[in-house]
Amino acid sequence: MTNSTPILPVDFSAITKEQMIFAVFGYVTVIGSLFLLFILFSLIPAMRRRKQKKLVRTQGLPESAAAVVPGEVSAAIALALSLYLEELHDQETAILTIKKAAKNYSPWNSKIYNVINFNQIKR
Amino acid sequence: MEGITHFFQHTGFAGAAPGNLLMIFVGLLFIWLAIRFEYEPLLLLPIGFGILLGNIPLPWQPGLQIGVQEEGSVMNLLYMGVLKGVFPPLIFLGIGAMTDFSPLISNPKLILLGAAAQLGIFLTYIGAITLGFGNLDSAAIGIIGGADGPSAIFLSSRLAPHLIGAITIAAYIYMALIPVIQPPVMRLLTTEKERKIRMKPPRSVSRKEKVLFPVIGVLLTGFIAPASLPLLGMLFLGNLLRESMVTARLADTARNALIDVVSIILGVTIGASAQATTFLTRNSLQIFILGAGAFVISTAGGVLFAKMMNLVLPEESKVNPLIGAAGVSAVPNSAQVAHREGLRADPTNHLIMHAMAPNVAGVIGSALAAGIMLGYLL
Repeated sequence: MTNSTPILPVDFSAITKEQMIFAVFGYVTVIGSLFLLFILFSLIPAMRRRKQKKLVRTQGLPESAAAVVPGEVSAAIALALSLYLEELHDQETAILTIKKAAKNYSPWNSKIYNVINFNQIKR
Repeated sequence: MEGITHFFQHTGFAGAAPGNLLMIFVGLLFIWLAIRFEYEPLLLLPIGFGILLGNIPLPWQPGLQIGVQEEGSVMNLLYMGVLKGVFPPLIFLGIGAMTDFSPLISNPKLILLGAAAQLGIFLTYIGAITLGFGNLDSAAIGIIGGADGPSAIFLSSRLAPHLIGAITIAAYIYMALIPVIQPPVMRLLTTEKERKIRMKPPRSVSRKEKVLFPVIGVLLTGFIAPASLPLLGMLFLGNLLRESMVTARLADTARNALIDVVSIILGVTIGASAQATTFLTRNSLQIFILGAGAFVISTAGGVLFAKMMNLVLPEESKVNPLIGAAGVSAVPNSAQVAHREGLRADPTNHLIMHAMAPNVAGVIGSALAAGIMLGYLL
């Protein structure tokens, strides 16, 4: 009979109290740290809204001016601006611009400079 | 004739062992996965090629300075960037310059999903201890559960440099296999009705909020876990370069040229360090088994936490639990998996923007976990 060691020789008694505490402490610290970040960034929009409402009240603007703009609306505005700035449009302007297409004379391959000039019969 | 015999004794064929051939096969497999299925090709391809380089048997001749483990060789000098933990912060700088945190800022409660999905790190740490690994080795193995390659390299280079090859390769191979590992866990833990939950579209985020996020983020996480600063400091710096909009050139270099150069060197040297003699061991096999478990636990942690959040959230703010799985920090793979699973349940429900929030929070969470482990154990 061969005495082979299993690939996963699990031994739960190897875990010490200190290691268990560390695992729990570590996980709770990660959650706690990101929870603080969550609290901070939940407060910022609330502060922003309050500031906007105050501005609306003092300047006599309509209530709708203080509303938070949904992401979809911002995306649509951003796309429209981008298209406008890059001048990508569905409808052409229908203005034709005629540019000179003729090439300037260049003698680099002119027949008169050919090495062999055959006599041409003139009629 | 003697010269020819000498030459043949120094070829790779003369020194080849079955282990080398097996590792070369693994390297070819990585290259195939990267090219055929586009699984994390930016890393699997250089790692796979590095494995080929590292497993061609070299003639043992002192002073030849060829192998990655031989002091003074070019490969060894490049490998120092891995061993000394130089490359992970540079990669984090690039990731920061690439990342748009606005989905997270617009719906900050999703940050918690990125924290919850780090469960795999700490349970795998305990799991590794039960298998007989030492305390530091176990912590380095546990970080695989963060699904974050640079954090895994950074922590293992500090706590268990002898396991760095196995840990890094396990982390990257499982990150590449996220589309295979996560969906069954997500489907098992959610009901059809939960998978169809529609979330409110994210609100627009002001430039001021985007600039404040990296500043507040680095101060908060830096004071809680200063050991995470090499990673999180660079992540938030990269993000500030991007969001400040006054350092466009620096942000552009960080997210393109710098991260590309570092990724190539990192991938090749990590691959080359995975040599048959050090890699084909019982420990490596155990690390691979623990790594797979870590990914499953982390996915489950995120999904279950999202379900728990739904118990207290009002009806209009409910969270689709599928995005909890994106809390593991494999960006953007796990967010794409959550999006695809959402589309399977309801072809008109697009979750990608929502899933990106826990996904980027997961990057912060795993780096923070690495910092906590480093601060506590060293």
